[in-house]
Amino acid sequence: MRLVRWRQSATAVLLMSLAACSAGSGSGRIGSGVTTTPPPAVNNVQPVVMDYGPIVNGQSVGVNNSLYTTVTICVPGTITCQSIDHVLVDTGSTGLRIPASLVMLSVPYLVDAGNNPIGNCVQYADTTYQWGPLVKVDVQMAGEVASAVPIQIISPTNFAGAPASCSAGGTPAQTVADLGANGILGVGLFRQDCGSACTTSAPPAVYFSCPTTGCITASVPLASQLQNPVWMFPQDNNGLAIILPQVGAAGSVSLAGSMIFGIGTQSNNGLVGAQAQGADSGGDFTTTFNGIAHSGSFIDSGSSGYFFLDSSTTGLPDCAANSHANGFYCPASPVSFSAINSGPNPKGTGVPISINVAFSIANALPLIDSPSVVFNNIGGPNSGSFDWGIPFFLGRTVFVGIEGQASPAGTGPYWAY
Amino acid sequence: MRNELFLLSILAMAASPAGATLGGSAESVVADQSNLHAKRAVVERRGYTVHEISRDDGTLIREYVTPAGKVFGVSWTGPTIPDLAQLLGPYNTEFQNTLRSKSARRKVAVVRNPDLVVESAGHSRAFHGRAYLNSMLPGGVTEDAVK
Repeated sequence: MRLVRWRQSATAVLLMSLAACSAGSGSGRIGSGVTTTPPPAVNNVQPVVMDYGPIVNGQSVGVNNSLYTTVTICVPGTITCQSIDHVLVDTGSTGLRIPASLVMLSVPYLVDAGNNPIGNCVQYADTTYQWGPLVKVDVQMAGEVASAVPIQIISPTNFAGAPASCSAGGTPAQTVADLGANGILGVGLFRQDCGSACTTSAPPAVYFSCPTTGCITASVPLASQLQNPVWMFPQDNNGLAIILPQVGAAGSVSLAGSMIFGIGTQSNNGLVGAQAQGADSGGDFTTTFNGIAHSGSFIDSGSSGYFFLDSSTTGLPDCAANSHANGFYCPASPVSFSAINSGPNPKGTGVPISINVAFSIANALPLIDSPSVVFNNIGGPNSGSFDWGIPFFLGRTVFVGIEGQASPAGTGPYWAY
Repeated sequence: MRNELFLLSILAMAASPAGATLGGSAESVVADQSNLHAKRAVVERRGYTVHEISRDDGTLIREYVTPAGKVFGVSWTGPTIPDLAQLLGPYNTEFQNTLRSKSARRKVAVVRNPDLVVESAGHSRAFHGRAYLNSMLPGGVTEDAVK
């Protein structure tokens, strides 16, 4: 339903472009091309899907419990556009990142005051990373258009390699196969990926000025940083809701849902009974489990399970290190838990909001080895905190309140569910 | 009851010690020139010493040193992940090789090998992690010291 199939003429353009620009990447993909079509009318409902993921060389390369959508990017101010399917919807990061091999638009790299290209780095706690220059494109979803949005082009062959402070001894996840996606759409709590920390004289290793002599860490103004496209929409820009149905204990081979833009801005995006809890400046809140508070907890559609605590705290055995399910829990039978998430009231009244969450963990090994790719009951260890991944989103409407944006629930950053 | 703390010295340096290698000698801290504008504090605890290295970008790295001068553990918090090739030294290869055998989308890495333990967690703006070698924990010191 949602995987757009393009006209034959577009396919011809695609193949020529791939031959020209994706040498060595091995990540060519049929299913998109450059078009000249005006955006549809605004409807604020963006389809999302969980399935086997993008196809590379005839093989599905998706990762279990990945949430995807189709994003259209255009040369700014024009109707010269391309649509990219199976972009990961990630509430745990900020900004749009597309592998260079997939980008067919002709758009220049953004430069700093010294006329040097700007490099951007994002790291993940599993020590993977993405590196590449910025370009500006218009981003279209559900008829909403964010104009001239800085996005990251992941690892073009004609750009400097990742600085050591970006790779940090980790492993690149920059091809479609490595990403298990045709890009990452970061629609988390923040407007920018780095924010004010990257405007100071001692910025973290997120932005780099890249003269031919090599890339060095640089301070970059907020407007030039990677942006959450949603807050740049002309309307429905204070946040979003992700709505996914529930699945059974055996999981599902696919799932369709919606991402609705705006919170309380239209008849279809009211909070109804959802409670809102704020997050701190890093995007974290506290999860209390068996009476012990764990700060540093967060909600993340880009994580494939409930990642929490450890085997000795939860009583859940780790899966065998040499199994497919390494890094997950493998209890003999499902175990039910509850925890309490708490954060400040986004209306600023000073009374913290606490929300009880029930969840269940089953043996991950037979599930991961089954044909299903959507699970509400897989989890694994984390160090001292909770990462509420995709299973948390199933059977819920989860609102993402963007920082500094007013809404009926108060001002972001907050989660509501 | 906490161990007694002795603040031995706080050193501010333009080109400073910053990042000894797990399992290596504490002297390699001083040899390392890669992290500029770092400040170092040395805190003596019962049975070991902690070198705290704070960078202006908000990164805090702690190195845990045995009485014999070997780094038995490291930890970090900050807006980005510090260079683990430098911090973990040869053990980063073991860490990365163990990670590569996994297939899931996660914002966490937990490796518990017989000797090497590494935990990396968090996300952009707020990362934290630690690593230690079971074989090098000083007598009477548990893994909980590394935090």
